[in-house]
Amino acid sequence: MNLKDILNKFFSYSPPLEYNFTLPDNSNKEELKKDTNNEKVKSDEKIFPSISVNKEYMQVKYNTLINSDIVLREFTLNARGRQYNAFIIYIDGMIDSKIMDDFILKPLMLRNRNNLFDGSQNRVVSEAITNNITVRKVKKFNLANYLINSLIPQNSVKQVNTFSEVSAGINSGNCALFVDTIPIAFDIELKGFKQRSVDKPNNEIIIKGPHEAFVENIRTNTSLIRRIINNENLIIENISVGKITKTKCAVCYMKNITNEDLVNEVKYRLNNLEVDSLLSAGELEQLIVDSNILGIPEVLSTERPDKATKYLLKGRVIVIVNGTPYGIIMPAVLADFLTSSEDSNLKVNFGNFLRSLRIIASFITLLLPGLYVAITSFHQEILPTSLLYSILASRASVPFPIIVEILIMEISFELIREAGLRVPSPIGPTIGIVGALVLGQAAVSAGIVSPILIIIVAITGIASFAIPDFSFGFHLRYFRFLFILLGFMAGFLGIGIGLFVYISILCSLQSFGVSFTSPFAPVSIKDGNGYFLPPIWKREYRASYMATKKENEQEDISMKWKYNSKLHKK
Amino acid sequence: MTKIGQVEAIMLILTIIVTHTVLSMPTDILNNYKSASILNLIYVGIIAIIISYFIYKLFKKFPSMDIVDISEFIGGKILKNIIGIIFICYFIISSSLLLRNFCESIQILYFPMTDITFIIALFVIALGIVNNLSFSASIKSNVIILPIALISVVFLFFTNIGRFVPERIFPLLGEGAYNTFILGLTNLGSFGGIAYLYFLPPMLKDYSKFKKICIISILATSLYLIFTVATLLFIFTFFTNVSEISPLYTATRYIEFGSFFQRLESLFLLIWILIFACYISIVCKFSVSILKKLTNISDTKPLINIFCLLIFTIALIPKNLAVTQFFESSIYKYLVLIIVLLLGIGILIFANIIKYRQRLKVNVTEKRLNV
Repeated sequence: MNLKDILNKFFSYSPPLEYNFTLPDNSNKEELKKDTNNEKVKSDEKIFPSISVNKEYMQVKYNTLINSDIVLREFTLNARGRQYNAFIIYIDGMIDSKIMDDFILKPLMLRNRNNLFDGSQNRVVSEAITNNITVRKVKKFNLANYLINSLIPQNSVKQVNTFSEVSAGINSGNCALFVDTIPIAFDIELKGFKQRSVDKPNNEIIIKGPHEAFVENIRTNTSLIRRIINNENLIIENISVGKITKTKCAVCYMKNITNEDLVNEVKYRLNNLEVDSLLSAGELEQLIVDSNILGIPEVLSTERPDKATKYLLKGRVIVIVNGTPYGIIMPAVLADFLTSSEDSNLKVNFGNFLRSLRIIASFITLLLPGLYVAITSFHQEILPTSLLYSILASRASVPFPIIVEILIMEISFELIREAGLRVPSPIGPTIGIVGALVLGQAAVSAGIVSPILIIIVAITGIASFAIPDFSFGFHLRYFRFLFILLGFMAGFLGIGIGLFVYISILCSLQSFGVSFTSPFAPVSIKDGNGYFLPPIWKREYRASYMATKKENEQEDISMKWKYNSKLHKK
Repeated sequence: MTKIGQVEAIMLILTIIVTHTVLSMPTDILNNYKSASILNLIYVGIIAIIISYFIYKLFKKFPSMDIVDISEFIGGKILKNIIGIIFICYFIISSSLLLRNFCESIQILYFPMTDITFIIALFVIALGIVNNLSFSASIKSNVIILPIALISVVFLFFTNIGRFVPERIFPLLGEGAYNTFILGLTNLGSFGGIAYLYFLPPMLKDYSKFKKICIISILATSLYLIFTVATLLFIFTFFTNVSEISPLYTATRYIEFGSFFQRLESLFLLIWILIFACYISIVCKFSVSILKKLTNISDTKPLINIFCLLIFTIALIPKNLAVTQFFESSIYKYLVLIIVLLLGIGILIFANIIKYRQRLKVNVTEKRLNV
């Protein structure tokens, strides 16, 4: 940037570039209800004899035009010398394609000797001649039975006659075969999930919950989500990003839950990226968020399929980038960064206890060192006299001012953390222990830092580990340095001013049209919006700020067994 | 334009009173009405609620219009500009001097060696940064910060309850009925938040809630004021001797939890710094939005820095704390009475009369046409 540019930047006027996207309120609730009713009616429908009708039906049901992992393969089936139009439909990534080729498509399509044999020789069961008229009793050819008995060498094949049964099979990883002229379909078990052995999550470890994580392959990742959701309303669309790399990104959402404007906005942003390459989800995150101000994360990233699924069912959109074992969840609000997928697996009181602990942890991570500096420099009166004496006594041998002392320790702590991450895994923990114990103890003995400061830095470090989201934890760790400086400059006044600016910036953020501080600001007191979990039977609504198509997550009375038994007793 | 909900609007108006109570407002009330302070506040509060209802009624015929639009309706662009500038001046001057007053208190308490300019500059820098964000950011941050400030006052009340001497409420009429009820009417000046009601209608997401907002916000303001004044009245006998700093701050010094937490006042100060910063940012945003209306500027961001500098400069004008306190205790109250109550309501009444006449004319013409 030359001098002219700098002068121009300061003194010339450039109109603001504002991009405003907000999620509208749910206005067409009646229409939505109608849609849900239609869904129910449709799902019980019987299979038609006409293959074209069946094909159209399945195409609409599975949104094959946009759903990237739904495969509908049409072919001509040879049976007893006749040819029939047929198609199979399955979810890519959930079936074993080798079995599919060898034991489904080959026997059905190849014109081998069996298939050419028309069976006319064996058709006549009995023959009688009366008045020169020959009456033959002919065995009726049953195509369905013939297919099952002779052409599909599979151990588990079911004949189904409703579309709901067909969908249930496809969603669970089976393949459905439709043949022209017969009003049934074949539900063929071909489960074989494509996978590099799905591993345990490394960064989002939970105790009570599934232990599988996303891998680098996009199809494996989508199949992991499909296996959990098991519903045809899950749409997985493919979008390529990057002029050179053409990286595949899967946009996943629930068609009957997620707000359409949100889906369109995500697709719009992905389709309008003019980059040569996209190599990771982290890069994509920076390219599609509303603003990268202060490094505050505006989308969640997760390596857990169960977490991704949970958010999908809450009306969010997930983007999976090929080659990255992470899914990006959007939009994300502040409260999401302090929740773990374990919370809902625990009893409600324990889950909420953990959530409140995380709030405290985030405050400690951000503010504790700054508050310590402010209190020891400006507001000593807040400390009880005995504690103040012990702090002063511990600092007596330290030659540095408090700011130098705390910066030395905080930077050392960050160094230890970074070194622990980068070194080979067997040495990593050793570095941490050596750093924390030996270095800390040595620093105190050498009189470089005071023991109380070690406690402050250690508590801050531990608290930062309690924050479930890595990006958010990183952001808090980064900004604690600012609060340390503000606390040193002007005590509580500096921290207060800094906090005010920080809160205002948080409040100004939008994540895909949703206010980042929702539901606290703007205030939205509705069921389903709170940070703390209600009892599991009371989690009836989805968050209102997501403007989902379906507000209810479960029925008013979810524990019907209890309700019914009470009625029974009465 | 930024649209706000019911809770945000109520909190916006409450912010005004919270910032004023942190400074000398409660002391002035106690000094003027002595033991009748609570009675006076109940009386004035009821009147303020009636006034706010009256304002709602007057606004009814002008939905989604603020006082500047209504002024244009009455007297064209000239009156619109005059009224707009009066309100901008009122907002900027009152907030600047309040900021100076608060900064003086902070200086006395914690930074006696620091020049007041630096303390004010810190607030103004924050103001400059925040006001470059959207209006909704200021309103949303207020929603987060104000409850903390309210909880701090409730906390103050309950932690000091052991020191309360309820007999201090007697004599009930203080220095007499005339002083409490007639001269006490000037205490309506404490309800400066009413000024923001004039600008709320076009900002509301749902205009039908304006009535609720008017009444609840003023009711909450009255209750908060009663709560604060009661805390001080029950704790202190004569408050005048500590009037040089914030009275609520003095009350926080009495909080004790065993021998460990004995001096928590600086924590309260932290909360009040937050709410003060919030207040100035809202005032600045309101002023800018009025100016935007007057000038039809599409982008107000360059103006924001000018307003910040204006606040900074005005805050530096008073020579010392005594001057700002004089403004706070003697001038501000009358400024509210004249600008907010007399001028604002006067314009609304006048606009309603014109509207009524216009309707009459239309009716007469329609009748003639029918005949």
